Amino acid sequence: MAAIVRLSSVCRRGVKPLFYQSALLARPVVVFHKEQQLHPLTARIHSSPPLYAGSDSNAASLHWTAERVLSIALLALGPGAYFCPGSVIDYSLAAALTLHGHWGLGQVLTDYVHGDTKVKLASAGLFILSTVTFAGLCYFNYNDVGICNAIALLWSK
Amino acid sequence: MALLLRSVRLAAPMGTTAKEEMNKFWAKNSRLNRPMSPHITIYKWSIPMMMSITHRGTGVGLSGAISAFAMAALILPGNYTHYLDLIHSLSVGPFLIGLAKFGIAFPLSYHTYNGIRHLCWDIGKGFKIPEVYRTGYTVIGLSVITSLALILM
Repeated sequence: MAAIVRLSSVCRRGVKPLFYQSALLARPVVVFHKEQQLHPLTARIHSSPPLYAGSDSNAASLHWTAERVLSIALLALGPGAYFCPGSVIDYSLAAALTLHGHWGLGQVLTDYVHGDTKVKLASAGLFILSTVTFAGLCYFNYNDVGICNAIALLWSK
Repeated sequence: MALLLRSVRLAAPMGTTAKEEMNKFWAKNSRLNRPMSPHITIYKWSIPMMMSITHRGTGVGLSGAISAFAMAALILPGNYTHYLDLIHSLSVGPFLIGLAKFGIAFPLSYHTYNGIRHLCWDIGKGFKIPEVYRTGYTVIGLSVITSLALILM
């Protein structure tokens, strides 16, 4: 699939200068054939979850919205924990805090970690950390005093 | 011929995703061993910059503290009240207790209030530069006041 070019331009100056014309830089319709040949395998092994693949997916914007909705829910859980401490708030806090932290740290990773293998390793590490955090908080809620009581006890010192 | 090209270009979608473009950028620049352009070492620090990185810092710190607490709950033998009594018996003194409480209350307050400021930006409000500074100072002030109030509770 060759790039769509103007035959006269190719004949006179070769293919390269065409890519520096502002008109072509705006929206390349077809990726240059050679690059497609070199990366068929890497293009299939995604370091990001399949959700974010493809230029038509709106998964990224849905994720953004979900992050904001969760933040608002967490804001509501604050006064909720203060006025109605109990099991329901304890487990909701455990879930909301862990997920908010997981997504937040995910953004930090995206900003500072680059390169397919490094991103994969860091994402796996983050996933393990978040899982252990949620497990620990649930264990604490079930076998010990629970998050709301823990904060109350700590503060009464 | 050119007219045909232009109409085809407008109708067709991008060949690569944003993520692919970003990866290509990083791959090319690390392959060419290019140094990163100096930014935080040369750009004059401003209140918005400092507040932004503090928001990230408090977020990472709070998250780390929660994870540490969760792991301690799973690993350590005794229960919560046992360790609280242990700390009580150390008789640390009111000033240090107040300091420790501030160390927990301030990051939480700051991150919460600045988080609300972020949500306001997300619905499009407060982008004018004077507004950015005004809301910024409000967040800092509220954080200090709330932390002090929480300590005295």
